[in-house]
Amino acid sequence: METAHTASCRCGQLSATVTGDPIRVSVCHCLNCQKRSGSAFAAQARWPADRVVIEGRSNSFEMVGDSGGRATFHFCPECGSDVYYDNNGRADDQVAIPLGAFDDPFFLTPNYSVYEGRKHGWLEIEGEHVEHFE
Amino acid sequence: MSERLASCRCGQLRAMAEGDPVRISICHCLACQKRTGSALAAQARWEKECVQVEGRSKQWVRTADSGQQTAYHFCPECGSTVHYSGGNFPDLIAIPLGALDDPYFECIDASVWERRKHPWVELLGDDIQHRE
Repeated sequence: METAHTASCRCGQLSATVTGDPIRVSVCHCLNCQKRSGSAFAAQARWPADRVVIEGRSNSFEMVGDSGGRATFHFCPECGSDVYYDNNGRADDQVAIPLGAFDDPFFLTPNYSVYEGRKHGWLEIEGEHVEHFE
Repeated sequence: MSERLASCRCGQLRAMAEGDPVRISICHCLACQKRTGSALAAQARWEKECVQVEGRSKQWVRTADSGQQTAYHFCPECGSTVHYSGGNFPDLIAIPLGALDDPYFECIDASVWERRKHPWVELLGDDIQHRE
């Protein structure tokens, strides 16, 4: 049987449970991802939408990226944590989950590090299997 | 005097910080990973009187295992946390680095909760204080 992993907000009322392997695990250094995370970069993994089960209440916010892509972020109205997001129009059949939202965030490592032109000078993303993109 | 502006992703909640931050730190703890959704949290702290906040926010208070409380302020429209205070630094206001319109600083001062650090993250700088 495939292992399930659960992501949740800080107060715990909103959760996403995934089954099976992700399609892609990536780190993004772009300014939009820095703003949404509040961190120096964002880390996320994407699954086929039919492998993700959402429970709880969420508010959503749509953002348009520099490249014109749209994404809808779903966050907990009580504590503000993003628990999942959709890439509208580009990958409607996928759901992305911020790595840090997982109760165990250590079960995945990134394969891609993108927008490194915006990477902070004091940070490196390590790993021989990581592909780096400017 | 220099100033840095911070805002949520929809722009209605803002903070303006005057002068240089007192401390710039990274935290790898699981609560900070959950708050940011990232592999670590990065934040800069200023004295309270150096920070002005505008806009509507919702507060969420987290009580740590130690009993210490931290109050996080996020935009109810888009969910971004723009400032927080409490915890180990009751006289300071923390602003998540990524919330700053210019989030870039030359170096960071401290990296804490490194026992929770992801092995694929490396922090560069000879003067960083590292704590387990």
